This record gives sequence, C-alpha cells and structure tokens, in this order.
Amino acid sequence: MDARDSLSPSTVASSAASVTATAAAAAAAAASAAVTVSPNRDGSSGGAEDDAVLSAVAALAKDAALHFQSSKFADCVEVLNQLLLKKQDDPKVIHNIAIAEYFRDGCSDPRKLLEVLNNVKRSEVLACASGEQVEAVSNLGNKVISGSKGSSAANSASIVYTDEFDTSVAILNIAVIWFHLHEYAKALSVLGPLYQNIEPIDETTALHICLLLLEVALACHDASKSADALIYVERAFGVSCMSQVDNGSMAQQQSANLVAKSSSFPSSSLATVASDLASSVIASENPLTRTLSDDALEYETMLSKLDIGGQNAVRPAGLSSSNDLSRTPVDRSFTTVDLKLKLQLYKVRFLLLTRNLKQAKREVKHVMNIARGKDSCTALLLKSQIEYARGNHRKAIKLLVASNNRTDMAISSIFNNNLGCIYYQLGKYHTSSIFFSKALTDTSSLRKDKPLKLSTFAQDNSLHIIYNCGLQYLACGKPILAARCFQKASLVFYNWPLLWLRLAECCLMALEKGLVKTSRPLSERSEVRVHVVGEGKWRQLVTEDGISRNGLVDSVEMDDHMLSNDGQPKLSMPLARQCLYNALHLLNCSESTHSNPDLPSSEENESSEVASSKNSNHKNLNSIESKAFSVTVGIGQVNANGDAREPKGGTSQELIQNSLAHYEGIRRKENQLIKQAVLANLAYVELELENPMKALSTARSLLELPECSRIYVFLGHVYAAEALCLLNKPKEAAEHLSIYLSGGNNFELPFSQEDCEQLRVERTIDSEELTGGLVTAKNSSPDDSQGIVFLSPEEARAALYANFAAASAMQGELEQAYNFATLALSILPNSPEATLTSIYVDLMLGKSREALAKLKQCSRVRFLTSGITVNKSS
Amino acid sequence: MMKTLSADESKTLYALLKSEQSPIHEIAADFNSKFPRARHFLACSSLVLLLQDKKLLHSTQRMVAFAVLHQTYASQKSSANPFINFIINTASDDEGEKYERAFILQLLGSDGSSSGKEFLKQSVADYIQGFDPSVHSFPQCEQLQQQYCDKIHPEPYNCLFKDGSVKSVVPDPDVPSGCDANSIEFDLQPGAKPKLGSGDREETVIGLLRNLSLEGLGPQWIRPLPPRLPVQEGELVWLNPDDNHELLWDYGMCVDTSRGAAVRDLIAKALKGPLVPPQQEQVVVELVNDPKLVYHCGLTPRKLPELVENNPLIAVEVLTKLIHSPEINEYFTVLVNMDMSLHSMEVVNRLTTTVELPSEFIRIYITNCISSCENIKDKYMQNRLVRLVCVFLQSLIRNNIINVKDLFIEVQAFCIEFSRIREAAALFRLLKSLE
Repeated sequence: MDARDSLSPSTVASSAASVTATAAAAAAAAASAAVTVSPNRDGSSGGAEDDAVLSAVAALAKDAALHFQSSKFADCVEVLNQLLLKKQDDPKVIHNIAIAEYFRDGCSDPRKLLEVLNNVKRSEVLACASGEQVEAVSNLGNKVISGSKGSSAANSASIVYTDEFDTSVAILNIAVIWFHLHEYAKALSVLGPLYQNIEPIDETTALHICLLLLEVALACHDASKSADALIYVERAFGVSCMSQVDNGSMAQQQSANLVAKSSSFPSSSLATVASDLASSVIASENPLTRTLSDDALEYETMLSKLDIGGQNAVRPAGLSSSNDLSRTPVDRSFTTVDLKLKLQLYKVRFLLLTRNLKQAKREVKHVMNIARGKDSCTALLLKSQIEYARGNHRKAIKLLVASNNRTDMAISSIFNNNLGCIYYQLGKYHTSSIFFSKALTDTSSLRKDKPLKLSTFAQDNSLHIIYNCGLQYLACGKPILAARCFQKASLVFYNWPLLWLRLAECCLMALEKGLVKTSRPLSERSEVRVHVVGEGKWRQLVTEDGISRNGLVDSVEMDDHMLSNDGQPKLSMPLARQCLYNALHLLNCSESTHSNPDLPSSEENESSEVASSKNSNHKNLNSIESKAFSVTVGIGQVNANGDAREPKGGTSQELIQNSLAHYEGIRRKENQLIKQAVLANLAYVELELENPMKALSTARSLLELPECSRIYVFLGHVYAAEALCLLNKPKEAAEHLSIYLSGGNNFELPFSQEDCEQLRVERTIDSEELTGGLVTAKNSSPDDSQGIVFLSPEEARAALYANFAAASAMQGELEQAYNFATLALSILPNSPEATLTSIYVDLMLGKSREALAKLKQCSRVRFLTSGITVNKSS
Repeated sequence: MMKTLSADESKTLYALLKSEQSPIHEIAADFNSKFPRARHFLACSSLVLLLQDKKLLHSTQRMVAFAVLHQTYASQKSSANPFINFIINTASDDEGEKYERAFILQLLGSDGSSSGKEFLKQSVADYIQGFDPSVHSFPQCEQLQQQYCDKIHPEPYNCLFKDGSVKSVVPDPDVPSGCDANSIEFDLQPGAKPKLGSGDREETVIGLLRNLSLEGLGPQWIRPLPPRLPVQEGELVWLNPDDNHELLWDYGMCVDTSRGAAVRDLIAKALKGPLVPPQQEQVVVELVNDPKLVYHCGLTPRKLPELVENNPLIAVEVLTKLIHSPEINEYFTVLVNMDMSLHSMEVVNRLTTTVELPSEFIRIYITNCISSCENIKDKYMQNRLVRLVCVFLQSLIRNNIINVKDLFIEVQAFCIEFSRIREAAALFRLLKSLE
C-alpha cells in the first residue's frame, strides 16, 4: 500500500516483492467491486488473466525504477519501452521515458523535455475529464460551489479525486526545468496550483514541491511566498528548528494583524448559501419530522450529549491535532538532518532577504551546528553575505576567501561575483569590474563543461553578474556599456522596476555626455553660444536661444525603432520614457497587490509583456498566499486562548512573520523612493521631449507622493513650474517657486545637505564591531563616491532665483526679473541661464549696450564665427 | 527639421533679394520653386528680421523682400498672411521711404485683376524709376487694418517663451573708437584694400540669414538633471549556490490503482445505510493508517449529505481529515445547506469541538436551525427541535465556539418566541448573564 511513499532506493528494492503481492490481491478485490468503484484504466478488462498482466507490468516498472536509480538510463529506457507496449499511452510511462531519455542524452535539450512533459500533463488532464470527472463536473454545475474558486476548483477536483491520474510529479518536473532555466516566474506559476492542492499529494513529491517553491520564491525576492513555504514545511514535515528568538516588540501585534485578514472562507459562497437558505428550510420539514419522532432514543442521546458537552469544554484529545499540519514522515530521499540543514539554510537566506541580519547571524550558527563539519561552503558564503549586508566589508572578504573552493567553476564564479559586489560597495569600481568579468569568464567555461547536467543551466548565473556589471559601468560613467548589460539582464530582471529605472538613467547619462544622437551634450548647453556675423561696421552678434537647443532632442519619428540595427538599445529620450513607464507600471502593480515584486507571465504566455500577463497570474499568487493564512488562523487562535500548544514551532513562525512584516515595511519605503526617482526622471524626460502637459502631470504626481524626499519635492516644483511656463501660465509657474520664498525677495534653501545624505542607502550597520571595526568600516565605506551627484543646496537656491526671474520676465515684470537674475548671478556667476535671462531683460528694455557688455563679461560665452564664405564673384 | 536656414538656402535667398531687374511675379515663382513649402515660413521670418533693421538691406532688396513676403501668401486671403501686421505697419510708417510704402500698398492691392497682373510684371528697378510720389495717397494704419485684416491675427505660436522672446541680434560695430559706425567710409569698396573697421554688408546679411533662428532669445530656465538613484541595498546581486533540484522519477507509474478499494467500497455502502460497528472501525483505522486515503475514498461534496444522514460519525471522521483540503469549504457549504436533521446537527456539533470551523459557517448554520424551528408546523415536533437547538446553542456558547454578540438579536428573538419551552428560557438566561 505504501509503494508510492517508500521511495528511497533501498526500501524500494526490499519492499518491491511485497508490493507485487499486495497489488495482485488488491486488484482481485477491486475487480469484484468493479461495479461501484470508478473505472480505472484497465477497468474494462476484468478477470483473472489480468492478474498475470498486472504482475508482469509491476515487475517491469520496478526494473525501470532500479535502472533509473543506478543511473543506467539506456537500460531504463529500454525497459520502459517494453512497458509502454503493455500499457499503451500510459502518461506516467511516457513521463518516465522522457525523463530517462533526457538523462541518457546528456541533458542537452531541456526545452524538448518540457514539451513532452506538457503533453503528459495535458493528456492526463484529458484522461481525467473523460473518466471520473463526470462527478466533478456535475458538481461544478451545482450552485453550491462557490463562484470565487472558479477554475481552480475544477483543477483541484482532478487532483483530489483521481488517484491514478495524479499529475503532480510531471508538473513538479516542469517547474524544476523552468527553475534551472532561471524562468522563475514560470516556475512559480506552475508551482502555485500544486502548492495550493498539496494536501493530497504524497510526502516526497510534496516536500520537493515545497523546497522548490522556497528556492524560487527566494530567487524572486518574494518574501511573503518564501515565508509561507518556510512555515508550511517546518510545520508539515516536523523539522521545525529550535531556535531562541527574542520576541521583538512587533511580535504580538503582527500575529494579531495576520489573524484579522485570515478568514479563508470565501464570502461569495456564503452569499449563495444565504440565498439558498429559504428554499432548503422549506424542504427540510419531512426528514426532520422523521428524525425527531421516530428515533426518539437517538434524539434523547443527542440532547443529553449536547448538554454534557456544554459543561465540558475540553476537546477530545485525540482529535485536537486538527491544526497540526504534520505529515507522517515516511522515509524520504533526505535524512532528517539533511532536511533540517536545508531548511536552516533557506531560513538564513530568507532572513537575509528580509534584512533581519541579527537573526540571520544567529540562525547561521545553527547551520554550523547541524552541519557538523560537513561541506560548509554554503554556510560560509551566507555568513559572508551577512557581514557584507552589515557593511563589515573586510570581514565579508575574509569569510568569502575561506569559503572559496577554486576547483569548482560554479563556486568560483560565485566567489568572484560576490567579491565584485564588496569592492563596488567600497567604491572601488575598477577592482569590482575585474572580479565581475572574472566571474563571467568562469560561467562561460562552465557552459563548455561536458557532460551537461541540468544544474549546469542553473549554475549559469551570467545574467545576474551582467546586471552587476551594468551598475558598475553606470557608476563609472559609461552609459552605453551599462545599457547593454541591463538590456541583457532584462531577460531575468524584467519585472524589477529598478532595472528599468537604471536603463532610463543610462539614457539620461548619455544625454548629459552628448551621446544621444542629434542632441548636443548638456555640458555644451551650459554655455552661451554667440554667433559673430560679419565684420567691422557690419558686425552683429546673434545669441543662440537655449530653448531651441533643448528642443527636438530626438525627432519623434524615431520612436518606433529604439533598437539600432545591431539590436543594441539606442539611447534616447523616447527610450528613457518607455523604460520609466515600465518601471512605473511595475511599481503600481506591486502597490496594488502586496508590497512584493510580483511576477507576471504565465506558462502559456511566453512573451514578456508585463501588462497583459500580469492578470492571468494573479489568481495563482493569491492562492499561494492563502496557505499561509490558513496556517495563521491556527496560531492566532492559540495565542488568543493563551494555550501554548506549540511554543517552539510558534516562535520560529513568529520570527518568520515578524521578519516578513518588517521587510514589507522596508520594501514599501524603498518602492516609494524608487517611485520618486522614476517620476522625477520622467518629468525631466517629458520636458526634454517638449511635452509640457505630460511633464506637468508627472511632476504633480511626484509632489503628491507621501513622504517625498525634499530633493524630489524641489525637482517636482521646478519641473512643474517650467512646464507651466511652457503652457503659457507663468503666474502658476511662479506660484510653484514662491513656495520657497521667505519674506520679500529671499528664497530659502530648498533642501539641506542632510537631505542629500538621506538619499544614500541607509545601511544597517550594527554595533558588533563598534570598538574599532565600525570606524574602519565607516572610513573605508565609500560614502563620497556613493553619494548622489546633484546640485548643492546653494546651487539649488540659485536655480530658484534664476527660474523665478524667467517666470517674472514672462509675465512682463522686467524689473523683478532683473533683480532675481542678478541674485542668481551673485551665487552662480557663470550660470548661462541666468546670464541669458538678464541679457533678455536688457534687450526687452532696449538696453542693447548693457546686453553686449554682459555677453562680453560672461566667462561661459563661446563666440562662433558664422562659417559662411561668400563667393565674391557671384 | 532644421530651425535655421542652411548656408545654401541663405545664399539662394540673398541672390533672390538682389534680382531687382526681374519681374516681381518671376521672383515670387523663383522663391516658390527654390524653397519647399515647409521652408516658406522660416525664410519669410528671416526676411522680416532683416527688414526690421533698416540699414541692413538696400532699398531694392527691401522691396524684393516685401514682394516675397506678400506674394508667398497671395493665394490666400490677405488676413491669412502671417506677416500682414508687419507689412501694414511698414506701409503706414510715416518715417519710411515713400516709394517703399507705395510699393507695398500696390502689392496689397494687387488682386487677380489685369491691372494687378500688370503691376507684377514690372521689376523693382522699373518701379523705382517710374515712381511718381504725387499720385499716391497713404491711408492710416487703422484703415489698412480694416481693409486687410478681418480680425486681429492670432499669433502663430502658443508658446510664451517664443512669443515673449526678443530678436537676439545685437549690432556690435567693430570700428576704431571715436569713429562713427554709420559712416560709409567703413563700407568695403570694391577693389580697395580693406581697412580697419571695414566690413562687407553682403557677408553680414547672408551670415544673419544663416544664423537667425525663428524664436529669437527668451528667458532661460534652469532644468536640473535629476540625481542618479544610489545603488539600493540588495540591488547588487549576491550569489549563493542553489540547492540541486533534480528531476523526479514518477514512482506512481503502474502502481496498483486499487489502493483503498476496501475503504472506497465501505464509503459507498455508508452512503446507502448505516455501517455496522466493525465496518466503521475498519474505515477509521484505514483512514488513520494512510493519511492520503481520505482523498481517494470516493467521497465528494455532493455525496456528503447521504453520508451525514446514514453515518454521521464517519462523516465527522472524513471531514476532520479533509480539513486542510482545498475543497473543505465546498464540503462546509454542502453541510450548511443540507436539510436540517438530528444527524447534521450532530456532525456540526462534533466538528465544532474538533476543528476550527469558519465563524461564518457556524453563524449561517445557526440561522438555518432557527428558521427550521420557526417553519415547522407540527407543534410536538417543533418543541423537540427547539429544545435541541437551544441545547446546541448553549453548548456552542459555553465552549466559546461562537461569539454571542454576532447573533445576539437573532438568538434573543428566538428565545422570546419559544419562551414557553424550558430550554429556551435557560438559553435566554445564559444570554442575559453574558451581557
């Protein structure tokens, strides 16, 4: 009976004989009861000769499994093919053939395997539909079933009712392949329904599903799903690791919160219940009469039972385990210690993801205890990561070096990449670039390895390393190289708002450096260009207008082809706009669901159209969420009753939930900051593209953000004011600027130096190395290089003066304009904008001589000859 | 599109200005053929800028320029000419040269009539030669405006920066100090050696045509480049070795599918009638032995009522095992909807003491109970049911399974309605004591 569960090689071998015996006996029993039992695949041919076939089939299946376990894949395929002759079109046989052939052929073609597995999945679903599904279908038609569950109900029905059509292994394998191909979103969308219906699935498969879900959720930085899976595995597989947790202050309120949202009873189904109530009540009289009158004895028993129950509140002990999800641990492919170790490592990774560094540090010690001298490479890497996250870079390097096993290319690339990260944080971008490129070389040599393994694909982290390279190029001021990296990395990171922001930043940097075609570099814009026309008596000076240079950065017709012929991104303002829209969309999505980066795309939808695939996946995500909540109901109740049924498991769970809640707070803040940056960039880009309407609305939404940094508030006002001016509303423009006006003609500093510091990453450097380590960490930390490059507060004030002068000039208040332009020039004597504005005022007042004098004094003026030669003879 | 004239365009335009001997309509045709329609406005605007400085162009050149300004837009109503205001202002400027003003007036008057055509056949040089100031009268500006502009002409641009801009050309004569820059001595004489401070008018005009932009100079706006967002925590990708997730072999292949056949059989029987105790025992034991069996025992939500009616204890056992099933809510929904009976109440009661039931479920079940009591016709039966429900409710309240507040009004009304029954009175007292 337990054949499905006893999976470890040794037990399969030993129990195989008994399995055959019981199988035969059971088949006989089944045949006799065939009328009532649902038809199985060989149900059509009942009888004694079946027994022989059955045992032969079982023997072949056993043989194949043994070959598979001893990695004799060619033999395995051979046996399976014999089996297939006996059991034609059996999906499970086809499935195993595909797996065995895949290994036999050296794992060369995961996509082909994927195709076969998808066919298996589909054919099994079809088989279900034609078989027992009649039951489920009629059920679905019934009003009783809640509408909210919709398709998932149909899906679950196939898993719940149909023993012989269990597709879970095939689906899990599909997810495994997606995972190895780094298609985490797809893996997640496949795993979601499996995880939701995990109860009926046998232990081994269920454990694999959970572990893979954990891995994928961590890879996606999806804290809430990882927390859910982590809690579930700890409870269900009874390996909850003991760990002292100091109960954070947020512990209690947090669990209370979770309970509040945890009702898992679909409300829509209740509505139908209520509406059906009346009818059912009317119909209910007859049976009631029967039971109430006829079974007098039963009635009295019931009455007294209830009455006694009333006095005695204790629940029967044997049944109290209902909240206990624990699964009976039959033997698994892992030993308990192995599983414990694995889970502990996942927990540390989860805590690192949620930035609970203190707890991560504690938990990683447990890893060492459990491992007891076994391969500690992973643990050391995690320790190093903890120190890196805490800003203890020297310690991180030490640990990293200790973990390094240079013989393994996969580890070597990880080592080099992580070292690159540390040097980046130290501000040593060139050193970091050396390590990143070493890491890339390692991964490419990994790919040449033969024979291929499926894990080879997973170990190819090149796209992740390339993202790091992109950041490093951006820091070094190389926008085109950086953009190339980000574009490649987008295959993995397309649902990260940050990726799109970085790509837009590449465009802006290219604009600044004059690398955007048909535009002049911003540096050149920071000077006044004056054309000298004619000579002598006829000499004239033509001052170029700033606006005509700003405008038409890119002709809009280019909009459609943002990629140049070689497929590289053509850095341009329209591209920047597109990227920023993507980022904004992703940010809004994650706001509207939870504060985690949701993963769009579903299995069918191979394209990365973020918007369209988003919805289709939404259901799955929610369904994954629900498991955590149903778990929490139990915990919440326990706490409320003061009944500490599982104190230790509870604390581990609390730790995870607290970290999650804490992280969601951090995450929300981070997303807010990213959103500010995105909107500010977008407003700037719209101004560059001469879309004052869009620039204005973007700047306004920037100003409406809660807890907006003062720097971005300043930018919001400045961009909004300029847009309003372009829209012929200089008065409203001036209002945006006069917010900073304090008494008469003085502008206050729009932000302070501290505001600039705050924009920098708030690092959680804790106090362990307080005595000296912290100081060195601080000293070596690259604060200046990590800081933002932006106007100083004083320069920002000058910008306000200059812009206010421009707005005044627009309104015809030339006197005021003159004064403010002069004030601006007193702070920024070389500001070309302020100079031009004051020249403009002079010219408007007819003082061309003063204008000439200013032109000749300003150091930022460049005189250009007209460059025309007149052919005298013509 | 370029916002200034190219060098070639500048030269072409200047060459046109010099063609004082050609008939006006030919010059206009020339202009039309040499400049594409899209460039007309730009070229004409540049001409206007040159015309604003009275010294830059010779008188014949000025007249050619006006002819171009007018003729380029002559096919439309004169009020549609974007430069009509400038043209009229010059025509009515008392300080202007008489022949120039008269020429403009004649241009304005030249409609499709034969005299108009005749006028356009002249060259500018001819016109000056035959000019007789006495035949011309010069109407006032207002009168011309009435005649040639139906309404105030809207500005061609809506953008204030450009509207508010000034001509960005500033004369900067480079002559020795103390000399008069307007003196003709600094004009370049053909053949003569250029001396200090001399300059060529032609070169200046072409240079200006080349460099004048449409917009002129406006007030300037400082547009700060937004700062690059600092690298966020966790943005740099730190790598960890993945766990090795291998492909799984499906051990379910060809495995005996009759697992739990006995239990399935028994459950099927249990739907039809009560099982004898040993059978019940067997079901319970097998379900305990194989935790997954409950998912394969053949029970579906639709069949649940039969099981409840015939074997309430088995139903409780199965539902308790299914509590984590994704379908449990469907079972609950069926349970709450099935006909009220002793057995269904027993099942619900037992479930409340063994598992956490959704509070919504319990609430609806109670509502169902109460309305069953109210709808029953037979007094004897009603009494019995009411007693049962009252005891059931007391049990739920004492065990803290329901929150009385949620159902207070409903239950109270129920107690009052059936206050003649002892158990209802007791329930009422219990309610009051909790208040």
